[in-house]
Amino acid sequence: MLLALVAVPALFAICAALQMRIDVDTLAMNQDKEELLLRSGPLLQKLSLGYESLLADIYWTRVVQYYGVRAHKPGATYEQLWPLLDITTTLDPNLMIAYRFGAVFLSEQPPGGPGRADLAVQLVKRGIAENPDEWRLYQDLGFLYSIHLKDYKKASEAYLEGSKNPNAQIWMKVMAARVAETGNELETSRLIWTGVYSSTKDEQVRRTALQHIHSLDAMLGLRRLNESSEDYWRKFGRFPTSMQELRDAGLVGGTLQDPAGYPYVMGPNGVPQLDPKSPIQLESQQGSGTLR
Amino acid sequence: MSVIPGVVAINTFREAVRDRVLYNLIFFALMMIGAAILVGQISIGIERMVIINLGLSAISIFGIIMAIFIGVGLVYKEMEKRTLYSLLSKPIRRWEFLVGKFAGLLLTLVVNTALMTLGLGAALYCVSRKFERADATILVAVYFILLELALVTALALFFSCFTSPMLSTLYTLGIYVAGVFAPGIQGISQFTSNWVLAVVTRFIYYLLPNFHNFGVIAEAAHGDAVPLALIWHNTVYAALYVLLILVASAAVFSGRNLK
Repeated sequence: MLLALVAVPALFAICAALQMRIDVDTLAMNQDKEELLLRSGPLLQKLSLGYESLLADIYWTRVVQYYGVRAHKPGATYEQLWPLLDITTTLDPNLMIAYRFGAVFLSEQPPGGPGRADLAVQLVKRGIAENPDEWRLYQDLGFLYSIHLKDYKKASEAYLEGSKNPNAQIWMKVMAARVAETGNELETSRLIWTGVYSSTKDEQVRRTALQHIHSLDAMLGLRRLNESSEDYWRKFGRFPTSMQELRDAGLVGGTLQDPAGYPYVMGPNGVPQLDPKSPIQLESQQGSGTLR
Repeated sequence: MSVIPGVVAINTFREAVRDRVLYNLIFFALMMIGAAILVGQISIGIERMVIINLGLSAISIFGIIMAIFIGVGLVYKEMEKRTLYSLLSKPIRRWEFLVGKFAGLLLTLVVNTALMTLGLGAALYCVSRKFERADATILVAVYFILLELALVTALALFFSCFTSPMLSTLYTLGIYVAGVFAPGIQGISQFTSNWVLAVVTRFIYYLLPNFHNFGVIAEAAHGDAVPLALIWHNTVYAALYVLLILVASAAVFSGRNLK
């Protein structure tokens, strides 16, 4: 018995030390090989014998560990990330965290992730199909389209679709408008801001929406004037130096004022601009001379 | 050097053979023949891989089932039948009896595994009509399975010393499953921000027999070499862990009142 009391802890200690050496041996082997024996979610669903929800939780844990071990490691590959997420969400189609964080993992650029925003979009769309009431998935979809894929039209559509959910936050509409604005979809953006303005009771949001509507109207006005200025150049071989020249050439008519009531002015190289005294602030310069 | 453990081992082996334990080989043979015929029809280009994966997995599963279900009854059955009392009345020390039982079951498993490996080799030859140099990894995988079986046998024997076969089965199976998922336990310690949980999971990771160390079936199927250092380290690890469990078993069994 005394021998056992001494030998057992000693042997445990030696085994633990040896295990550390084995961990080093196996690390090199496992780095080379990324194995996933069962790739079929539906098959695993059948094999889970009704415990698919538990199995999904286990697979989600695997996803986190898989990603966590590789993230920001130079040369790391993420070949199994999508299959693991595919299995997880097949086993439990309502596991919201897998869609939301999974999309983040997939869309991160190397070395932080595989840089597969396309797969991330696919994952979130699957989540939306399974959970149509989850407006936050539309938020994620909009984010993926705008930030990673630079497809502002689709991003705006995603935000707008999500904003239709009665539980959705008001800023989903705001995001839709903002993203449309970034993508030069000024008319769409104005339409959405107008919707925000008319639907909200929050004074602050209404004020912001009105500012954006004015800004967008100014941008749209400048865009039209810019087009007229280019027509002038095509007709006379030079840019107009004043608004009066555009009027005299019959290219514009009516009052040429911004929404705050200040007249537009002609800048250098025939680029129409806001009156410097105008209180309107343009969100971007896309309505002015930068178009040229 | 006492010959008693050897005598007990031989008798344990004979008893296993008399109990028709090796009949599982028939099932294994039928499965391999069926697989060899079927994979040619349903898989393209991965027939060898399927045969190796299936064969090695079957060797491992059959072995573990045998090790657990026979192992848990090694001591308990002797007590139930009261044959243990007549045995211990002879000049046999309790630890010698335990070591003999362990060696006897291990011998049974070695014979069983060797025959199944021959069956796997035959099925592999039927499928591809040749052996390759990379197939040597299959033998490494089989060797690792044997190391794994030795550990499982020792665990089953340990629990058999102080509890019923039913509970011994549950305990052994539980430790086996936990040991297979040991890297997952270690993973918790790496990702948690709770230092207490990190310390506890790390301790459990090193405490458990790490059965994940012996899993090279995928390498064997792909024909990848297994580092010599790993073979050596796994051998020493399994030997030390078996020794540890046998020492603990002997301590428990020696202290047990058999009246």
